[in-house]
Amino acid sequence: MALASSNLAEAKAPRASDLEIVALNGMFDERDTLGVIRYALEELLPGEPLAVVSSFGADSAVLLHHIAQVDPHKEVLFLETGKHFAETLEYVETIKQRFGLTNIRFLEPDAADLKRFDPHGTLWDTDPDSCCHIRKTEPLKGALDQYAGWITGRRRHQTQERGVLPHFELTSDVRIKVNPLAYWTYEDVKAYKAEHDLPEHPLVQHGYRSIGCAPCTSATREGEDPRAGRWRGLNKAECGIHFDFNGQIASPAAKLENRTLFKSGRFIADPFHVWGEGDAPETSAYVHVPLAIWQENRDAFIAADHPIGLLIEPGDDFEAIAEDFDRFASIAVAFPKFTDGRGYSYARLLRERYGFTGELRATGDILTDQVPFLRRCGFDALTVTNEATKKALENDALAEVSVYLQPVGSRGEAPVGTRPFLRRADQ
Amino acid sequence: MYRYDEFDAAFVRQRTEQFADQVRRRISGELNEDQFRPLRLMNGLYLQLHAYMLRVAVPYGTLSSKQLRRLAEIARKYDRGYGHFTTRQNIQFNWPRLNDVPKILAELADVEMHAIQTSGNCIRNVTTDQFAGAAADEIIDPRPIAEIIRQWSSLHPEFTFLPRKFKIAITGAPQDRAAVKFHDIGLMAKTGPNGEIGWTVYVGGGLGRTPMVAKQIRDFVDHEHLLAYLEAILRVYNRYGRRDNKYKARIKILVHEAGIDTIRDQVEEEFAAMKDGILKLPQEELDRITAYFAAPAFKEVEQKTIDLPKLKITDPAFARFIERNTHPHFRDGYVSVTVSMKPIGGTPGDATDIQMEAIADLAEKYSFDELRVSHEQNLVLPHVALDDLRAVYEGLVDIDLAEGNTGLITDIISCPGLDYCALATARSIPIAKSISQKFSAPERQEQIGDLKIKISGCINACGHHHVGHIGILGLDRKGVENYQITVGGDASEDAAVGSILGAGIAGDDVPDAIEKLVDLYIEKRESADETFIAAFRRLGEAPFKEALYGTR
Amino acid sequence: MDIITANELLSGATVYLTVDGKWLEEVSKAQTFGPEDKAARDAAVEAANASGRYLSVEIEKAEIIDGRVVPTRLREKIRAEGPTSPRHTPQTLDTPHAKGEDSNVSL
Repeated sequence: MALASSNLAEAKAPRASDLEIVALNGMFDERDTLGVIRYALEELLPGEPLAVVSSFGADSAVLLHHIAQVDPHKEVLFLETGKHFAETLEYVETIKQRFGLTNIRFLEPDAADLKRFDPHGTLWDTDPDSCCHIRKTEPLKGALDQYAGWITGRRRHQTQERGVLPHFELTSDVRIKVNPLAYWTYEDVKAYKAEHDLPEHPLVQHGYRSIGCAPCTSATREGEDPRAGRWRGLNKAECGIHFDFNGQIASPAAKLENRTLFKSGRFIADPFHVWGEGDAPETSAYVHVPLAIWQENRDAFIAADHPIGLLIEPGDDFEAIAEDFDRFASIAVAFPKFTDGRGYSYARLLRERYGFTGELRATGDILTDQVPFLRRCGFDALTVTNEATKKALENDALAEVSVYLQPVGSRGEAPVGTRPFLRRADQ
Repeated sequence: MYRYDEFDAAFVRQRTEQFADQVRRRISGELNEDQFRPLRLMNGLYLQLHAYMLRVAVPYGTLSSKQLRRLAEIARKYDRGYGHFTTRQNIQFNWPRLNDVPKILAELADVEMHAIQTSGNCIRNVTTDQFAGAAADEIIDPRPIAEIIRQWSSLHPEFTFLPRKFKIAITGAPQDRAAVKFHDIGLMAKTGPNGEIGWTVYVGGGLGRTPMVAKQIRDFVDHEHLLAYLEAILRVYNRYGRRDNKYKARIKILVHEAGIDTIRDQVEEEFAAMKDGILKLPQEELDRITAYFAAPAFKEVEQKTIDLPKLKITDPAFARFIERNTHPHFRDGYVSVTVSMKPIGGTPGDATDIQMEAIADLAEKYSFDELRVSHEQNLVLPHVALDDLRAVYEGLVDIDLAEGNTGLITDIISCPGLDYCALATARSIPIAKSISQKFSAPERQEQIGDLKIKISGCINACGHHHVGHIGILGLDRKGVENYQITVGGDASEDAAVGSILGAGIAGDDVPDAIEKLVDLYIEKRESADETFIAAFRRLGEAPFKEALYGTR
Repeated sequence: MDIITANELLSGATVYLTVDGKWLEEVSKAQTFGPEDKAARDAAVEAANASGRYLSVEIEKAEIIDGRVVPTRLREKIRAEGPTSPRHTPQTLDTPHAKGEDSNVSL
């Protein structure tokens, strides 16, 4: 899997300057959607087409309806991630028929990437960012290489992050993104759909207002941000395809720096949050529940049967609930101070004595020099807030001694050669 | 002795490189002092009053000539031409510069030495009997097990952030020369029910501000299960040791508060769960390590005994040296020689580069290249043939280290005190020197006989004052140094903590005070065979108190 | 009155903040702070800590005796003059910039 920016580094020569784009943004009335689309497809870059990309989600019909009015034979790109709801695929057909679109192209993930990074199809669960990357960003990048830019259905009212969205944007690799619906409100969309009797995505009636891949989409509650149902609980708001590939314009790139969960060699989005106000045993999922709360509400948690984690603080008698360990998708062990080493013993007990195989994460005051010890004791995930530690982890610059003199049970520390007894090298 | 193989070499080299990188980051400003401090401490680098201090581990007190020469070289090249041997069988350099420390560690690594775990809340250097592998009274040489414990405890991932530091001592002889009952864990060799040799385990001993004699936690554990048993103790301590108060964080407090029976139950439960796991020590591994410690190829010696009475007339100084500074060896015609680092009026434990090199030469020539550091801050040539004794003695005379005072009143243990140490509340070294000078006359020392004086410059008790037959603790009383005297402490198998005799006294008055105690003892003893400590046990503290403070 | 002392990063040497803002080994050159100079004193401590080049930055009591600055506490006298027994001179700074000529230069 190539880095997102590598192909784009050789992007075609600049076609428009920042100033020209700024000027374009003044050319059209906020609601002149058809005018923007027409200009984008026919005049903006003569001879160099812009792509149309659609998710065929809850609001996609509005843009596609406009495109069809301008040019029903225009190629429409759809990311067939392989993880869509059946209803979404059904909806693609409906739209195609109803609007008379003749050229919908399915972009599929690279088979080799899937085999290598997501052999079991569960990457969405362990690392949603990577899942988006191989199923969306990469295929789209391949397709967009032929285009000088693309037209999106994004609206500035959709989420806070999109609040300043203009009609025309220049990406840092000097391509153009056109957002004809930039100024549309949710009410505008609703009214337009009603006026033109646009077909509704079948899931909307079930409470879904922003629809992506099946595993990462849930229904939104009344009054919630419509996209709140996407990657719910995953601290993730953009799927990557709206990123400017070099991270220059779209703001979500900044979120990368806020990631604190380090797992499998890199920082990823953290699906879990810490138990707090508003959490309830019946409804909460992807939350690390403090031991006492688990003990008080055990039945309710078990009845709800959501993916859930356990939080162990130093001094907790966690062994009292040993029979429940296998119910937790993740166990977090707190290190309130790096000098408090109780968690190392807890980790070894969980792994070696109780055979816990789920995610075991260390959270709290973690310095670089602790990381090798944590790993050896059985931790496979770290929540890191210490900046120096983050930097060291990102740069793979851990101070580590790779040979060690005592076996601990969890990492398959195998003898090296004829090396007897205590000595092991990290393999 | 143990030799590094490529595995150990890689381990120490990587650790040295790691520290070099940390120093570089500190000097460049990438690391601030708060971030760097725990890292430097894990490599034995302290900041003291005048400079950094580097503490180098001497694993269970064993050194080769080559290693001692390297220490001398480091003292000369990077320090001020001397090093200080400590009560933990380590050596400290008082004046290294930060950017030289990586070079020092690299040069140490060349001779299989390092500073790992000489500080910090981890398992420290394992200490043992300085006559290990040589003593006539030994049941078993403790060094192979000490080496195995060293390996097991080095960068142990579970036990690097313990509540507090953790010290293990081990002795293979019934006469305890390693003060095992004043360690977090003490191991004492024992012959088991079927004639097999194993270990009696003591736990919760220590000095510092709350001195405690360790309690027996297990009567017998065999070699095979020793590591699992130690790991069980460490795990219980790591989980339940107090972390709310630094002064109550040692395992002795846990044992004291929870009670030895509770701790024993917890340890046994843990032990039962891991007893036959990966820590079970295979006999082949024990054999492999033991082979490194095989006795040297002793030669057939001519001289089997020494005519001491005659020598006392012809060469009294040499006779004293033999009488005090040699220890019975298991091999006929051999002795272990203590090189007293306590010349009259000298700094206890200090050795110059020239002295270290000369002693290294003597060890190479006369002791099969072997040396030991004792917890009493002396050096030992473990295997010296009686035939060579005079040559050794004369070699020591040349470097002013031939004082025949081992175990006598001038063989004083002393911490560096306020002359160097950032924690100290009063000076120790000048007190040691003034006592040494006061009792310099050999006849006087001989008259007094066995008497261990131990001086600490603060409550942390690095100078082991609690277990001195006479202990001296330096305190700061309103800006003035003040010394508290204790009597009756004992670090041996008859472990005891000394009793404080009364209010502290001024430093200048200490030698006279000691003299009063000594005079009382000589006056009251039943015979010259009754030692100071024996007399104290018989008499109790009252007469000593009276001798010092008069009747009140 | 107060003086400000620290240990210099590279040598570990005991140093004092002098009148002209340098950090030198000689306590006799130390700047003294009276009760009215508290703000300046605290600012100097803060600056020293922020520099990262000085460790264990401490405010110490001192007196003027025969026109010379002398630390009050025994511990500080020993820090200023070196170990007493046997006598050793204190650690010296070793590089030109550490000598206080440009204390802000990093290596």
